[in-house]
Amino acid sequence: MGAGFITMVRRTVVAVTVGIAVAAAIRVRGSGGVPPQTGGWRELRGDDLR
Amino acid sequence: MSQILLFGAGATGSRVARQLRSTGLIDALEVRDANEERLDALAASFDGWVTRGVGRRIEGRYDAVVLATPPGSQVALARRGVHAGVPVITTSNQTSEVRRLLALDDEAAYHEVPVVVGAGFMPGLTCLLARHGARDYDEVDEIHVAKVGTGGPACASQHHRALSSTGVDWRDGRWMRRAGGSGRELAWFPDPVGGRDCYRAALPDPLLLVGHFDGVQRVTARQAATRRDRLTAPLPMLRRPHPEGGIGAVRVELRGRVGVERRISVFGAVERPAVAAGAMATAVTLEVLRGRIAHGAAGLAGVADTVSMLDTLAAQGVKPVRFEGITTFV
Repeated sequence: MGAGFITMVRRTVVAVTVGIAVAAAIRVRGSGGVPPQTGGWRELRGDDLR
Repeated sequence: MSQILLFGAGATGSRVARQLRSTGLIDALEVRDANEERLDALAASFDGWVTRGVGRRIEGRYDAVVLATPPGSQVALARRGVHAGVPVITTSNQTSEVRRLLALDDEAAYHEVPVVVGAGFMPGLTCLLARHGARDYDEVDEIHVAKVGTGGPACASQHHRALSSTGVDWRDGRWMRRAGGSGRELAWFPDPVGGRDCYRAALPDPLLLVGHFDGVQRVTARQAATRRDRLTAPLPMLRRPHPEGGIGAVRVELRGRVGVERRISVFGAVERPAVAAGAMATAVTLEVLRGRIAHGAAGLAGVADTVSMLDTLAAQGVKPVRFEGITTFV
């Protein structure tokens, strides 16, 4: 009973630690998104301002 | 002869003064500010065109009053302006204050004066771009606005508070309260700002947009923030804000229907926020002087003629842009 409880606690701690490490790696290293691959910004002019 | 009263000689107020002068259409400007030193410096930088004023009393001789004071101080002044029968242009970006300014609608309509709520970068230019972009649509379903950057110290303090305060979104026909700092979304702003992580915050834009777009389903507002901003948001500001922030940007995304086609369009602008807010307040002031703003209290999403204001903004150096290249879908 005591040994099983300790094992469960140890596995829980390892699982939480690995989870935090993975989340932190994604958060810090992740690029967050892909910039627009086509198109671009242009000033409002001509038909835009009629 | 047009005479304008300006409250506030800070980063935004001083820009309003310079840009009103550059139009050549204003005969006299009276500026009032609690900070005498700042007021002296502003008055001295003009050759007698700016006069220094004192107090909070507003007489009926002014053609318009522009409020560029810190958020939280504009409602009482706006009410005084309304009761004096003077059109009021406000620049507040504080949610609670914007609510109270909008609540002046009946009083403003009774006194037959316009109260323009949120004539700054965001809200202000964002509302104008949303209205302008909506001309292309048969029906606008979604409006999403976002901003980067701050103007003067008061704007920076408000920006800091907003990130830890509860914001409001409009979703499926009702208001939803949203925790500040939640809802991360990567938004692409015009160059050179580029991509920034944006989060929900206590931003007043949805309050100013929803009523002007029949059938709109979703309206959200976000502001860019770094990890440090989010971490320190619940704390008091750890150091005094800079006299003025750097380059800023706004972005307005519209989604809706054109015929049977679904369409997305994105508008934006890049400028130092205080400069853009000054240009926006100037453009609105000119519209007020021309009698083109309806009586009552409302934001800029309700204006009929967006082109005139966009032209004035362009003349002031603030040139809105549109993203081209987004695919439409059926």
